[in-house]
Amino acid sequence: MPTFGTLELTSVVDRLATMPDLDTEAWSLPGAEILQLAFEVPRATETLLPRAMHPAIPPYATIWVTRYTESPVGPFTLAQLRLMGRAGAHPRGFVLGAVASTEDAARALRERWGLPVVPGRVTFTRRHDRVMASVVRDGVTVLDCELIDPEAIFGGDVQYIHSITLAHAPLEGQTGPRLIQVDSRYTIKKAERGRPRVSTLVAPAWGAGPLRALNPIAATVTSVDTDLPRIRFVMDVEIPVVRGTRRIRESREE
Amino acid sequence: MKFGLFYELSVPRPWTRESERTVYQNALEQVRLADELGFDQVWAVEHHFLEEYSHCPAPELFLTACAMITKRIRVGHGIVICVPEFNHPIKIAERTAVLDILSGGRLEVGTGRSATWTELGGFRANPDTTKKSWDEFVRCLPKMWTQETYSYEGEFWSMPERTIVPKVYQRPHPPLWVAVTSPGTELDAAERGLGSLGLTFGQFAEQEKRIAEYRRRIRNCEPVGAFVNDQVSTVNFLYCHEDDTTARTTGRRMADTFNYLASQLISAREAFPSRSYQSLGLLPQLRRQATGPDATEQAGEGLAFGGPQRVIHTLKRWEAVGVDRVNFLMNAMEVIPQADVLASLRLFAKEVMPAFADEKPASVAAGAGA
Repeated sequence: MPTFGTLELTSVVDRLATMPDLDTEAWSLPGAEILQLAFEVPRATETLLPRAMHPAIPPYATIWVTRYTESPVGPFTLAQLRLMGRAGAHPRGFVLGAVASTEDAARALRERWGLPVVPGRVTFTRRHDRVMASVVRDGVTVLDCELIDPEAIFGGDVQYIHSITLAHAPLEGQTGPRLIQVDSRYTIKKAERGRPRVSTLVAPAWGAGPLRALNPIAATVTSVDTDLPRIRFVMDVEIPVVRGTRRIRESREE
Repeated sequence: MKFGLFYELSVPRPWTRESERTVYQNALEQVRLADELGFDQVWAVEHHFLEEYSHCPAPELFLTACAMITKRIRVGHGIVICVPEFNHPIKIAERTAVLDILSGGRLEVGTGRSATWTELGGFRANPDTTKKSWDEFVRCLPKMWTQETYSYEGEFWSMPERTIVPKVYQRPHPPLWVAVTSPGTELDAAERGLGSLGLTFGQFAEQEKRIAEYRRRIRNCEPVGAFVNDQVSTVNFLYCHEDDTTARTTGRRMADTFNYLASQLISAREAFPSRSYQSLGLLPQLRRQATGPDATEQAGEGLAFGGPQRVIHTLKRWEAVGVDRVNFLMNAMEVIPQADVLASLRLFAKEVMPAFADEKPASVAAGAGA
């Protein structure tokens, strides 16, 4: 069998988001821009991945910085650090940490989708030869990254992997740490690919102790219509997802 | 229709030097028996870094061992990765020529380009250019095998004039194939006069459509080699047992294990968006078929699990679809005990093979011979 993550719940339980319920209404998020950087990370990151999931071979992570021009809480920019892995047979990105550019967005994303979001200063800057993003928290730059030399690619070649987040969530009358799948849809209108460069990544600020950006893979920037959907799948955090998955509604629209 | 064996050589954790050796020894024992039973070919993959899924980075060595312990079974490089960071073309020409000599002209050469970031990234190969380098390699290889001297100036490699020795044993040269996982690659094979070495499992309707188009295109091909190999091969699982229910349960367990392992791999496109990997290839298909909440009912279609009559029925359907050869994966992670694998092979040879007898040897159909 493939190996599993080795996350000790006690090490993260105090900073998890708490969801009052699992009845989150979907958000439609048209006109967004997503900067994604992918890079390999050390094997030791298996300590960051829940025991329900398998590490990717080789382990890799993505930085996702999304500029939402429209949302129910107004425009905001969201930066996420995700450790990529497998939930059973499916590729998934486990959200280690996230920073939103507004208090309202941070609160809504924590309560409605269980994302581990804190407020901070998040920038997303386009230049003709690069796309840059940075995150500052408490006066400290915790992320500084860029896509260099963007070249147009076909939008259909970009494959976004769904997210899984760990949050305190209620199920059958009991609230506890559970994995929540956030499976957004993406209609990509324009896509570019370039070289990724991560200048600053302060791993502890993202709940990502041993994570370091090693071998760069690729960076993309896209213009998309996307959403944050209703929650369909909730998973036990400690047992393999093939045995521990609960489908709480049939479709995203239900 | 011809039948063969297909090896990924998956090794379950915990890895010990004995567990690795046992997997190889079991495979060799199966190949020796298959040779005695009348199987036509044995194929071995080239994969690197694919933990548990495939510990077969040097198929030419495994196939040499196979050739040394057998008399007639053909040995297939399935496939050699035609990307310069993995294999230099001169070394491919030399290694395959030696294997062809040692096997007495029993070599088949599959070509391909790798489909995982795990491998491409490991060799620091550029996914954007693998199809182009493959195209360059397959055009060079037959000339390197057959011309007295050879020189080349290309985009991905070059060499001054030299005599590449030894030459292959078969005349004019071994049959060439292309690994076909992504839809459309069968057309690349057809246009170059290369055999279609299908590496996807099941699904008759989809395969029938692709084979028909392959047959149509290859009639007007410009062959890269000295002859056209117009054969279509596919891969399948095999577990044959007198008790149909036992066979299907055991076979399903093997397929689920294999598919689950395959789903752990990082496809090239997952990590590195590229025109060169437009389709998601084999991995998403296996992901859908793997055990899980959304595993599909269609997953078992076309798979050779069952009692002899069920397996005959399944393979007759493949024959009707247009497949010339079926290569069988007979185990994954050693979930089936070796004695049961050998029994499955014997039963297949005794009860199933006769239903497909009286056809010409595949090597003759391909136009090559020793």
